Amino acid sequence: MKRYFDYYRAQMKIAVLQEFQYPIAQYFYMIGMIAEPVIYMVVWSAVAVQQGGAVGGYTPGGFAAYYIVWTLVRNMNIVFTPYGWEWRIREGRLSMELLRPIHPLHGDVAYFAGWKFVVIALWIPLAIFLSLIFKPDLHPTLLEGVAFFFAIWLAYLIRTMTLSLLGMITFWTTRVSAIFELYFAAELVLSGRLVPLTLMPQWVQDLAWFFPFRWAFGFPIETLAGNLTTSQLLGGLGMQAAWIVIGIVATNLLWRVGIKKFSAVGG
Amino acid sequence: MNGLRLAWSYLRIGILNEFQYRANLYIQILQTFIALAVGLIGLQLVFDQTTQLGGWSRTELLAVMGVYILMGGVIRAAIQPNMERLMDDIRNGTLDFALTKPADAQLLVSVREFRLWQTVDVLTGAIVIGVALAQLGWSLSALSALGFLSALVMGAALTYCFWLMITTTAFWFIRVNDIANLFEGLYAAGRWPVDIYPLWLRTGLTFLVPVAFAVTIPASALTGRLTFLTWLGALGLTVLFLVVSRLFWRRGLKNYSGASA
Amino acid sequence: MSLAVNVSSLTKHYQVPEREAGLKAAAQGLFKRRYRTVKAVDDISFQIPTGEVVGFLGPNGAGKTTTLKMLSGLLHPTGGSASVLDFEPFRRSHDFLRQITLVMGNRNQLSWDLPALDSFDLQRAIYGLHADEFKKTRDEFIEILEVGSLVKQPVRNLSLGERMKMEIIGALLHKPKVLFLDEPTIGLDVTMQKRIRTFVAEYNQRYGATVLLTSHYMADVEALCKRVVVIHHGKILFDGNLSALVERFSAFKTVAFTLTDSASDLTPFGEVAARDGSRVTLRVPKEKASEVTSRLLTSLQVEDLTVEALPIEDVIASVFAIPKEAA
Repeated sequence: MKRYFDYYRAQMKIAVLQEFQYPIAQYFYMIGMIAEPVIYMVVWSAVAVQQGGAVGGYTPGGFAAYYIVWTLVRNMNIVFTPYGWEWRIREGRLSMELLRPIHPLHGDVAYFAGWKFVVIALWIPLAIFLSLIFKPDLHPTLLEGVAFFFAIWLAYLIRTMTLSLLGMITFWTTRVSAIFELYFAAELVLSGRLVPLTLMPQWVQDLAWFFPFRWAFGFPIETLAGNLTTSQLLGGLGMQAAWIVIGIVATNLLWRVGIKKFSAVGG
Repeated sequence: MNGLRLAWSYLRIGILNEFQYRANLYIQILQTFIALAVGLIGLQLVFDQTTQLGGWSRTELLAVMGVYILMGGVIRAAIQPNMERLMDDIRNGTLDFALTKPADAQLLVSVREFRLWQTVDVLTGAIVIGVALAQLGWSLSALSALGFLSALVMGAALTYCFWLMITTTAFWFIRVNDIANLFEGLYAAGRWPVDIYPLWLRTGLTFLVPVAFAVTIPASALTGRLTFLTWLGALGLTVLFLVVSRLFWRRGLKNYSGASA
Repeated sequence: MSLAVNVSSLTKHYQVPEREAGLKAAAQGLFKRRYRTVKAVDDISFQIPTGEVVGFLGPNGAGKTTTLKMLSGLLHPTGGSASVLDFEPFRRSHDFLRQITLVMGNRNQLSWDLPALDSFDLQRAIYGLHADEFKKTRDEFIEILEVGSLVKQPVRNLSLGERMKMEIIGALLHKPKVLFLDEPTIGLDVTMQKRIRTFVAEYNQRYGATVLLTSHYMADVEALCKRVVVIHHGKILFDGNLSALVERFSAFKTVAFTLTDSASDLTPFGEVAARDGSRVTLRVPKEKASEVTSRLLTSLQVEDLTVEALPIEDVIASVFAIPKEAA
């Protein structure tokens, strides 16, 4: 246990040092990323104004709150991508990682967790800037704040696992980008990334219940920007935990089968 | 006209090359289809709640989306790949190969790459525009059509200038992917007409990143919004940017040969 | 003496899809694929006692890297068995991984943008090394390889050779007992090759580690390995002393001398391999060497005559020229 703790600390430190090497690049990346929610925010605020001040329960200030929290959650759920898996298998990186006495997935989790500290440090000024301009209507309670803190880290773990599962398909076939793209499109619509799920038709909202997407995106945003009851907060965290358990089991299973295949043909 | 011949031969090689990877065509079709579906869903969601947005009707916004997809295809087929290769060449010091050829260097680095399959987007965009026009009752005058086509060309030219300037001036402190990311993020704003954005953002999307010229202005021509004055302004700006980016390129080239000597 | 590596009848077959040219064949391939079996490693056996340095030779595609990957646990053998330090490598138990290392000259492990020191610290955490001992080993390696001033620079600013030194330090910080080195000196200049060679030799001496090394540079092999295993088309062609290899596979010798009368015709004596003014090198079949020498001495005016075995590179090249059927 102490060893893992030490490893995580060392790997996170590497991530922080590494990612701080290119602060300007990070900002370029972030500005590009923030354009997306700003577009949604502007469009939906315009719709809300036209509809007499609110749409689907969201005022312009409500949308501002939703999409500004969105930017933090989006940063939190950036994880090792399936394209990264493709690259690591093709380039033989995975082989080298397999020779270390530690599971490669620990490396992924630790590295990206470390990166979060860089990202959040750089995100704060942008968030202040966005808040000054768009005036979010955001009044979280202490409980919501605490729930949000846990929710974003749980979201990080959920997305790490779903995207690892997706990436591991590369063990079997290299023509994967089509699958990845379909996945990302489904995620966009069903997670609350495109619009708050409550603005979706009822059947889409029902459908979203069966996928992990919203628990890695929409739910953490709602803990802070929405008006969830205490039981909804706790229930949501419970759902996140459940998806993590499912994710761990599934990841382990797929990893075992995949690595068997991998070591039959070599990397 | 030596330059045109050169561009044509590069184009031919690019196309032949792409035919080697036919599977990519299917992936491209799927990606285009997904992007279109997501765009239509977004449009549907908005117009579930309202009947017009910033003075644009649903059909007019469909036309905007068509231009957005079409122009995106043009950028990813012809502009972006060349600029990314230029950036790689600058970084790896392999630009010398291009500079030692007996042709204008700027032209050469701008025509070396062509991604044929991205034209799926161009085609899809054109179809979407067609559908929107049909829904509008084909009320397009010859003058508007001319305005639309010329605005498209100017939009593409301005986008090219933007990429060239960023590439030649900024390559030493940012990575290739980051510029592509930034551009893609900001270009996505073109999905909607820029006049719905707050003033500061609209200004940025007009003069810093030419999204307004690439998408909104051609779409304005389609929907009868484009005034002659705006058109003239666009023309003036295009000429200005072509000259300025040329100067930037010259300047950057001087730096490059200085650095690699 | 105990065995560090014990390989018996080790075999690795791959199924590779067979595809013919043309669109029709490609279309058929979508539905029904034909496979061909490639015997990358075909029933090889050898043992390496603890502490020995063995050179593993063979042309590209001979099965060297496949074997190293099986021994380090990355590949599952199709047949036969391999044991390294009494572990079955492909189980990749952490206790096993802690005692071995695999260095590939064309792969880098260190963080590109960071000083090597930071990457070293990550190695410490990965292998759970004791802080004091880690520092001692690290500083010792840094001193031997003379990279003290470089470890604080980002790796990307280092030369290829300097980077390789860092890679090797990083790969040995956990003081592995078995080293698999796959082309560790590839692309390096001669002095760098030498530094790395000496370091491997020193590591072997100091820690009694077992080393299995592949290299294109015969100088590496000559300097480090008494024993070589030659693999070709997946089979072992030779396993023994380097000198015995030359003895066995060298069909020719070189006879070098200086001519004092320069106009002579040399073709009756053998093939002229080089001629630089009056200095001549002849290539003659091994069994004829003594006869040619005496004929030269009697019929021509020559000085400084020497008879030598062919350079090791040439010998190896002639071994690899053996066609598959004969192997």
